[in-house]
Amino acid sequence: MTTATLTKPPRPADAPSARRSRWTGIRRVLTRKPGRIIGLSILVFFVLMGTFGPMVYGDQLAIDPDAIYQSPSAEHWLGTDFAGSDVLQATVVGSRYVLLTCSLAALFASTIGTTVGLLAGFHRGLSDSALMRVTDFVLTVPGLPLLVVLTTMWKFDSPLEMGFVLGVVGWGGIARAVRSQALSLRERGFLEAARGLGLPSRHIIVRELLPNIAPYVAMHLLLSVIGFVEAQVGLFFLGIVPFTSTNWGVMINQAVFSGGALQSPEAIFYLLAPLTCILLLIMGVVLFLDAIDELFNPRLRER
Amino acid sequence: MKGLARTVAIRLVGGAVMVWIVATFTFFLVHALPGKPGDVAYEKYVAMGMNSQEAKAKASIIYGYTSQDPLFTQYTHYISDLLHGHLGISISYSGVPVADVIGDALPWTVIPILSGLLISFCIGVSSGVVAAVKRSSRLGSGLSLAASMIAGIPSFVIAILLITVFYTNMGALPYGGTVSETLLVDPGWNVEYVSSVAYHAILPVATYVLISYGGWMLSMRSSVVSVLGDDFILASELRGITPSTRMRYIGRNAILPLFTTLALSFGTLFGGAILIEATFNYPGVGQLLLNSIGKRDYPLMTGAFLLITTAVVLANIVADLLYSVIDPRVRR
Repeated sequence: MTTATLTKPPRPADAPSARRSRWTGIRRVLTRKPGRIIGLSILVFFVLMGTFGPMVYGDQLAIDPDAIYQSPSAEHWLGTDFAGSDVLQATVVGSRYVLLTCSLAALFASTIGTTVGLLAGFHRGLSDSALMRVTDFVLTVPGLPLLVVLTTMWKFDSPLEMGFVLGVVGWGGIARAVRSQALSLRERGFLEAARGLGLPSRHIIVRELLPNIAPYVAMHLLLSVIGFVEAQVGLFFLGIVPFTSTNWGVMINQAVFSGGALQSPEAIFYLLAPLTCILLLIMGVVLFLDAIDELFNPRLRER
Repeated sequence: MKGLARTVAIRLVGGAVMVWIVATFTFFLVHALPGKPGDVAYEKYVAMGMNSQEAKAKASIIYGYTSQDPLFTQYTHYISDLLHGHLGISISYSGVPVADVIGDALPWTVIPILSGLLISFCIGVSSGVVAAVKRSSRLGSGLSLAASMIAGIPSFVIAILLITVFYTNMGALPYGGTVSETLLVDPGWNVEYVSSVAYHAILPVATYVLISYGGWMLSMRSSVVSVLGDDFILASELRGITPSTRMRYIGRNAILPLFTTLALSFGTLFGGAILIEATFNYPGVGQLLLNSIGKRDYPLMTGAFLLITTAVVLANIVADLLYSVIDPRVRR
């Protein structure tokens, strides 16, 4: 095969020593500001909580009519809710749905967005304009009202369905970012060389373009996670998606609209626990994004 | 100018096509759902004792079509009604045209969004300049980090936190509804009523301010940073023009691209109003859409959804056009 003997373009990641220096680069960027380590730790913490939390705590919330709306105690660290269930347990167990949905939505959005962006940016011409019209459409139609309308026919039962729908509605930004990267990359020398050698498009896209675009996808993915959190928790909060599981959106909805947490402080922990989690999660993403931003935009390293 | 007219025409046609696609989508969505409005009315009239011929005639007078008609006829009726500004008859507000229901709700969405936008624009732009000039200092990076943080927090979380602090804990500001209950019976353009409306709007407007603040601050910051590197700033520095005058040059050049985003953010906020209005129990268009889903009022649902989409599409077009009109550097 000609492809096997082809010398790769001089990408620093390929040489072992260069790879090691990239790792030290990542470590240096991460440790430059303490906030970035904090951000990473928060994200790791939530991943662990969503993965192992329900195993440790048990998915089933105990319902105890004798212990409704109790204040925090040694037994219930954050008190209990309207059904006497432990608020801390509900928060931990509820994190799984939120995180799983976000990951699935990110997966779907990045797959669709990367495919569309690469095809449009690489082939240009007619397919580019067609794909970009579709992207414009996806970007323009207001996402949350569309999701609200979609609930009339879709029940969004499992994280898989919810994640799928969020991904299908939310891939526009990634497609745009990938396309502009592909457009600038295809003018670079190593891609022209690959084209000149007559390598098949699929090889060029998958082996040459994709590795260079991956960092940008990763960044937009993290950015879109923020939007996915708002959209899915918001749908539960609005009360138009059936409550088939414990999650933060359900907790906020119950606390505000049935618990009266805004009128009286009885349900305040039931409200504040998921809110704090959302704030922490967003904080982790933002702090960590700062590091990724600097990794891929060396120009930002001013001083 | 001829080129501009052409651009406007192309953009408007593009926007109309987009709204048409969304209208078609909602039509077929509603058609796929059980309990179509025409049928519901038809069954109601039959239950009231009309014969089926009469009931069908009456239902199709009010709703334009019934599901006994062929699908294509219903669709063309629906589209031609839309073109005439007739959005159908609401079910939950028995018999009131959807356009009137939406018209009543529209000010409650538009005015808070507009005031929130203006306030956040002013605060965001001025703190953006500070963050850009002092970007290497602790103040600058602190401002930027806070802005990205606030920009990331979901709107309803901000709303709930505001309510918890200012209503539940401090009792300083009202929450829920648009005026105090004593004035509900007798609305009018008097000082008492208007000031009560403004008082009740403080928290919703503050929410709009907070959710859009981060965007303004961050884009002004990066805009100023890029202008700072321009040659004319260096030239004015060499000529010894005073820093305050130089600041004016920078500000004027950096703020231009932000004006175009103003229209865009109006669209974004309009699309996201549903969460904020639900939290504040504020009777705007978003709340209308939400209630129409709960009550299965499909004509109202499609009407509100179409209006929100149209507002976002229009805002996009305006932003696009402003981009070429307002900033001479972009114009070709």
